[in-house]
Formats: sequence, C-alpha cells, structure tokens
Amino acid sequence: MQFRFYLSEAVNSLLRNWVMSVAAVVTVLVSMFVLGLGLILFFNFQDAISDLRSKLEIEVFIKNTATQEEIDALGEEIRAMPEVKSVYFVSKEEALETLRESLEGNEDILDALSGNPLPPSYQITLEDPEQIEEVASRFFDNPVVDNTPGKDPPDGVKYGGETSDRVLRVTTIFMIGGSGFVVLLTIASILLISNTIRLSIFARRREVEIMRLVGATNWFIRWPFVMEGVISGVVGATAAALLVLVANHFLIESVVEKMPFLFNATAVPTFTLTIAIIGGGALLGAIGSTLALRRFLKI
Amino acid sequence: MITFEHVSKIYDPNIIGLDDINVHIERGEFAFLVGHSGSGKSTFIRLLLKEFEPSRGSITVAGRNLQRMRRSTVPYHRRNIGCVFQDFKLLPNKNVADNVAYALRVTGQPTRAIRRKVPEILQLVGLGDKMYNLPDELSAGEQQRVSVARAFVNHPSLLVADEPTGNLDPDTSVGIMQLLYRINRTGTTVLMATHDREMVDKMRKRVIALEEGKVIRDEDKGLYR
Repeated sequence: MQFRFYLSEAVNSLLRNWVMSVAAVVTVLVSMFVLGLGLILFFNFQDAISDLRSKLEIEVFIKNTATQEEIDALGEEIRAMPEVKSVYFVSKEEALETLRESLEGNEDILDALSGNPLPPSYQITLEDPEQIEEVASRFFDNPVVDNTPGKDPPDGVKYGGETSDRVLRVTTIFMIGGSGFVVLLTIASILLISNTIRLSIFARRREVEIMRLVGATNWFIRWPFVMEGVISGVVGATAAALLVLVANHFLIESVVEKMPFLFNATAVPTFTLTIAIIGGGALLGAIGSTLALRRFLKI
Repeated sequence: MITFEHVSKIYDPNIIGLDDINVHIERGEFAFLVGHSGSGKSTFIRLLLKEFEPSRGSITVAGRNLQRMRRSTVPYHRRNIGCVFQDFKLLPNKNVADNVAYALRVTGQPTRAIRRKVPEILQLVGLGDKMYNLPDELSAGEQQRVSVARAFVNHPSLLVADEPTGNLDPDTSVGIMQLLYRINRTGTTVLMATHDREMVDKMRKRVIALEEGKVIRDEDKGLYR
C-alpha cells in the first residue's frame, strides 16, 4: 500500500473541497461532543447507581429468645451462601448504641425503656444486588428470625424491597435509553460523513473515470476516499474530545461539589474516554466513506 | 496483437454498435480506424479496453482473451494499453508531471523510479520546461502531448488513440502524429481512430474503414477516401 501517496491525495482533496470538509468535520465534532457528554453522564450515573446498589443490604432480625448457639448457627448458614459478599453481626448493645446516636439530644427517651428491647441482627450485603429478593426470602420461615406470626410480608427481614426494585428499574431504563441515544447519534454521524464523501465522489467522478482508464485498481481509487473520511472523523473527534475534557472539567466538576452524592469526579476515565472518542471518530469516518463508496463509486 | 473474431455489439435497444467484425492487427503495426461519427470506432476502442462486453464474438488483446478475463484483472489489462483521447482526459488539479506520474503510481512503481521516468518522457514529448504547469495553463496541443506522455510512460505494447487530433489545428496535429509515429517506431502497436482525412492520406498506413458497424475496407498503405 502506498500510504503516503493515498494520504497526500486525501489531504489535497480535503483542502480543495474545504467547505465540504469543514462541514463534515463540524458534523463529527457535534456528534462526538454530544456522545462524549453522554458518556460522561453515563459514567457518573453508573457510578452513582452502582454505589447505591452496593449499599442495598438485607437486615435479618433475630428473636430475643434465641440462644447464642442458634445465633451462631444462623451466622454460619448465611456465610455459607454463595451470593453473600459480607455479613456483619449487630449485637443488642450495638443496636441500642446506634439508636442512641441517632436520637442525639433526646437520649433520655431511652431511659424510659426497661432493659434493651432491641433485637440483635445480621446485616448482609450481596455480590449481585439483583438477587436481593431471592436471598431475603430464605429467612421468611426461619424460626430464629424475629417474624411476627401471620404478617405478610414478614417483618423480621428488611431488604428495602421497594427501593431496590426502583433502583434496578431506573438503572435498566437509563442503560437502554442511553444506548438508544448513542446509537441514533452514531447513525447520524455515519450518514453525514457518507454524504460528504458522496459529494466528494461526485465532484471527482471525471477523475475516477481517468484513474480507471490508466489501469488503477479499485482499491487504488478507493483508499484516498476512505482516508478522507477517516481524516474528517479523526479531526472532528479530536476537537470534540478536547471540548468534552473541558466540559468535564468545568461543568461536571463544579456540579460534583454541589451534588457529591450523584457525581463523582473520579468516575470518568478521562484517558480512555479521549481515546474512545477519537477512535470512534476514525471508525465513523471509515464506515461513512465505505458506505458512500459502495453506493456511489461504481468501478 | 489485436484479434476481433465475429464481434458484434448491440446497445439497448437494438442499436448496432459493431456488426460481425473480423480484424487482426499485428504486433508493431500502425493502423487507422476511420469512419463517420457513429460508425463504430469508439465502440471498437471501448471493447478493447474492456469497458463493456461484446454481444457476440471473441476479442484477443496481447494474447489474452478478454471474455475469459476476470473483472479484478481488468486494471492490469488496461496498464498494457496506453490511451489518448480527443478531450485529453487530464486530471485538472494535478500538474503536468503529476498527471504523467499517476500512470506510474497506479502500477505501484517506487517514487524514485517515477522521479526519473517522468522528466525523461516529458523531454521526449517536448514539454520538459512545463512540468509544473497545470493542464489549464497549456495549449490544446501541449495538453495532448501530456496525454501522449502519460499513455506511453509505462511503455505499453499497445497505444490506442481516439481522435487525438480532433480538437487540434492542422499544424499541431502534425506534431502529435509525429509523436505517435515515433512511438510506433519503438515497436509499440498503435491504433488510431480518426476522421482526419489529410493525416491518413499523408501517412500511408493501414486503414480499416467502418460504416454502420461493419468493416467496409481494410487495406495496407491505404487512403481515407
């Protein structure tokens, strides 16, 4: 492959039809910029969501009448479950202490209590939060667990069923919606590049005819057009990547300060993102020009 | 070098381009293809270049049967045939040297060889001092010389010219004819389609006359008539 020759042909053509080239580059820039912003939001949301999900836990309350053996046995049983990531035992005293701290300033309410009515409990986090309901249900009929008889759902097991369902649903919707948006933008970019290359082919159809007559192979004719697309893609995407980095720095990071619970500055892998945007631009250019060549360059 | 056996070309719908042509041109020959517009000269040349297929018959160029040639090898076939056209067909955005170099680039020749061969051939056609001009900046005759240089720079075994002097004044035409004659003298087969009566009569070479797609006359050292 005569890389340098193809490259200079492509660059010359881009410069000669600079109006068209600028249009293509700006198109890629806009698409990839929006795509990049989308990715930043995506990374942040994903981070926030996985954070939320990792905080979902099952609380299993134990009957005050349970013996130490029964409590230990339940602990062993829980630890043996493959879905379980970690187990923490909260003793009666610790539960009371936590409650006392949360009452801050009104501790004297507790003095009205005789003894400690709080039950001990196990706090369980799972490897995969999706299984939370299934794992929680295993404790519904356990005799050691402090379930009030006849109550449905059982009150001895707390796993934030509603909350976790909602978080999972939002995650799924966000993933699907986000992917759909990205796909749409990608298609738009490809079509626009393809159109630019198509115009370039039309502008040079006499040249193409001459190339064929002097015995140029199909790929000898195609390569400069492909490179034209790739160059437009890379130039547009590089500019977009810079803008995305700037946007990430000024916009998102200022939001992070105000809403640290939702945005995490370290959530965006900047280097990967830059490479992905530029690589994506090159890919868009290549696909766009290939499409145009297939449809409009009959050789 | 060129053999047409019972070749017919019928364009849709029912327009006869060539009608049962039998022609054989030897290696090293110089032949004129004469006839009115629409007599089939261009069809003959385009069939040679395998721009399209004949409706019937078989065509052999340089020992290769064009019907049996795969599409992917057509570019290599064309590199063996230098082409000169009435409208020059130069790349308008490239200077003279790059236009000629293009025919070499296509064959994958290294840059160093290209740098050597291009000035050489441009000297030969008398344009050594216009290498860096754009085609627009040249006269018609000079543009046709560039086109001849491009056609010949690969030293093809066959050079085909379709009305190369059609757009040129008589004096300039003589210059182009001399160039083609010199190329023929190097052993290259030259086939030239023309209706330049004066030129044909002056050269006294083989004349193949076409009319309505048929060969009506084929004689050595012939006249246009």
